[in-house]
Amino acid sequence: MELQRREFIKAAVAAGTAPALAATGGKQATVVVVHGKDLAKMLNLGVAKLGGWGTFIHKGDKVAIKPNVAWYSTPAQGGNTAPELVRECVLQAEKAGAEKIDIPENPCSPEKKAFPQSGVQDALKGTKARLFRPSARDGYREVTVPKGKICKTAEVPNEILDADCVINMPVAKHHSGATLSLSMKNWMGSISNTTRRGWHRNGLHQCIADFSTFLKPKLVVIDASRIMLDHGPQGPGTLAYPNEVILSTDPVAADAYAATLFKLKPFDVGYIKLGHEMGIGCGDLSKIDIVRIEA
Amino acid sequence: MKKNLIRLAVFLLCAVLALSLFLPDGAKPFSLLLPRISPLLSFAGALGARRFAGCLCLFGVPLLLLAFFKQRWFCWHLCPMGFAAEMAGKLNKRGMGRIRRVPTLNKALALLVAGSAVAGYPLLLWLDPLCIFNGFFAAFRKPFLWTSCATAAGFVLILIVSVAVPNIWCHRLCPLGGLQELLGMPWKRFKSRKNAQKTASGNTPPSPLDTRASRRLFLGILGSGVAGAGARAALGGGGESSVLRPPGAVKRSFNALCARCGNCMRACPYGLLVPDLGKSGIDGLCTPVVAFRHLDPYQEQYCFQDCKACTEVCPTGALVPLTVEQKHKKPVGIAVVDQGKCVAWAEKQYCVVCQEYCPYQAVVEVERNGVMCPEIDAAKCRGCGACESACPADPIAIIVTPCPGGSGK
Repeated sequence: MELQRREFIKAAVAAGTAPALAATGGKQATVVVVHGKDLAKMLNLGVAKLGGWGTFIHKGDKVAIKPNVAWYSTPAQGGNTAPELVRECVLQAEKAGAEKIDIPENPCSPEKKAFPQSGVQDALKGTKARLFRPSARDGYREVTVPKGKICKTAEVPNEILDADCVINMPVAKHHSGATLSLSMKNWMGSISNTTRRGWHRNGLHQCIADFSTFLKPKLVVIDASRIMLDHGPQGPGTLAYPNEVILSTDPVAADAYAATLFKLKPFDVGYIKLGHEMGIGCGDLSKIDIVRIEA
Repeated sequence: MKKNLIRLAVFLLCAVLALSLFLPDGAKPFSLLLPRISPLLSFAGALGARRFAGCLCLFGVPLLLLAFFKQRWFCWHLCPMGFAAEMAGKLNKRGMGRIRRVPTLNKALALLVAGSAVAGYPLLLWLDPLCIFNGFFAAFRKPFLWTSCATAAGFVLILIVSVAVPNIWCHRLCPLGGLQELLGMPWKRFKSRKNAQKTASGNTPPSPLDTRASRRLFLGILGSGVAGAGARAALGGGGESSVLRPPGAVKRSFNALCARCGNCMRACPYGLLVPDLGKSGIDGLCTPVVAFRHLDPYQEQYCFQDCKACTEVCPTGALVPLTVEQKHKKPVGIAVVDQGKCVAWAEKQYCVVCQEYCPYQAVVEVERNGVMCPEIDAAKCRGCGACESACPADPIAIIVTPCPGGSGK
């Protein structure tokens, strides 16, 4: 009984706050920016502001999380998403009653090197989350991207396609090809190599935006606790420490805010501009409600 | 019968050890033991490479001592190659007598290996039976490649020859057997002379047979030394610059020092090492070369910066063991961008995937027409192939080519 009531209250609060946040002053999107040191606490505060975990994950859900675990890079070097953040997200998903938690990742460095070095593999010990490289033979399904201008089809890991709740959890960093690696760019770390090779050949920014018309995460969490300012995406590079976690349900808005941490205008980044123009989300900072929280 | 059972057991044990590169990392050192205990490989290798650091050749000492006192005891009791060859010979009962028409070459071959090793260019090192046995298992690897079967040819060939002429390998050809016979000679002679003294007291003058044998021995070593020096001058030269060698490869005389045991090819976790089929010259057949790309189109494969697996498994010293720091300084080759094929240079695409993947930050971005384009910083490039394996251009626009002075710096 107790539990049910709590859930009911949570849901009621969520239903009340989410539209309320979005509606403030003609804003089109909400980005919650939590500043602090304790990433787990920051994540929970941010999610609470967006309606709480119950809004995103329901009992029995299949959850897919997409952190960035692409590189042979230590947590301190900032090439991958912070392990504490991934762990906390998994723990909360478990608490919310997720039936299955999958983290399909197609890393650039060999997975036997990247997964342990990132700290994420160890952080997931004792949880039911599964971090793995999708099998080249049957780990991906080809999907059509109806609104895609260049990217018309893509090979996507089964677990992402089959999930009830997809959470995108990138790390913010410099990127040699795409200017910045943020949430929309993060999908390149899960799609198949053949798909992503095609993107590089045929208009990278448009392909990134195209794919985001298809794959819409329920929640975007950008790790900006430390950001790599150059030599990205692999690093090691020069680091800055905004000590922030950026949360939103709008990937374009989250990316737009994150770009400002690099002293860039959102539309300096090709795929943010295209994402805004294609109506995937709002990249115009003046129309984004930025809610700052101190943890 | 009991003896054969023991030999079978040893054979199977060696086979399992030779395959143990498939076992967990902890078991891997055992797989190195088999080729390493051969004194022919370990000492001729160390002599030829002029490298005794690490004292890897000490693995050959037990067999050396055994041969000194017991001659070919190892051959008749333990050698897995010998066991296989002998069993193959038993298939052909009618051919048993044929061996009498074949001259005994094993001691001459052993002398040739030893003498040319002294000259710095060990010839026919790859005739070592433990190495041939081990090479057979190099074909069993992931991913399976037909070319990698080349190192298995020796084992199969010996079996075929042994069926045609039973016992020819052990009694006539095997240089490791020849070496053991040579090593056992002084002790054998000393013992027989002592026996002779016991029966007929008084000094026996050295028999003419003795002087003839030692003269032959001397001439044999001299001749093979000359042959080795000649081969070294003709073939050993500077590093061959036509192929990509594994990171620990010695620059001089690699083709001679490599025994084709296949250990390095199996040790590579990324399946990048394959036997060369002629690019490095006729004397380089079956030596390991680095082949990037297209092993698996879904997964990039390159010489991972912190991996040194291949350098740790060489029984002869053709590959020098490296620390991770040393490896970071050893180029396999150098990447070259073909601007005509590069999608950034030629088609103004936002790409520079090569820069993304390069673990040494050797790809420099230069801006052309508002797009970042890749150039190689030769001082930083180690030829690891990360760029080549990830390049999305078709055909590939960035290729690792041999360093002008050969692999290794």
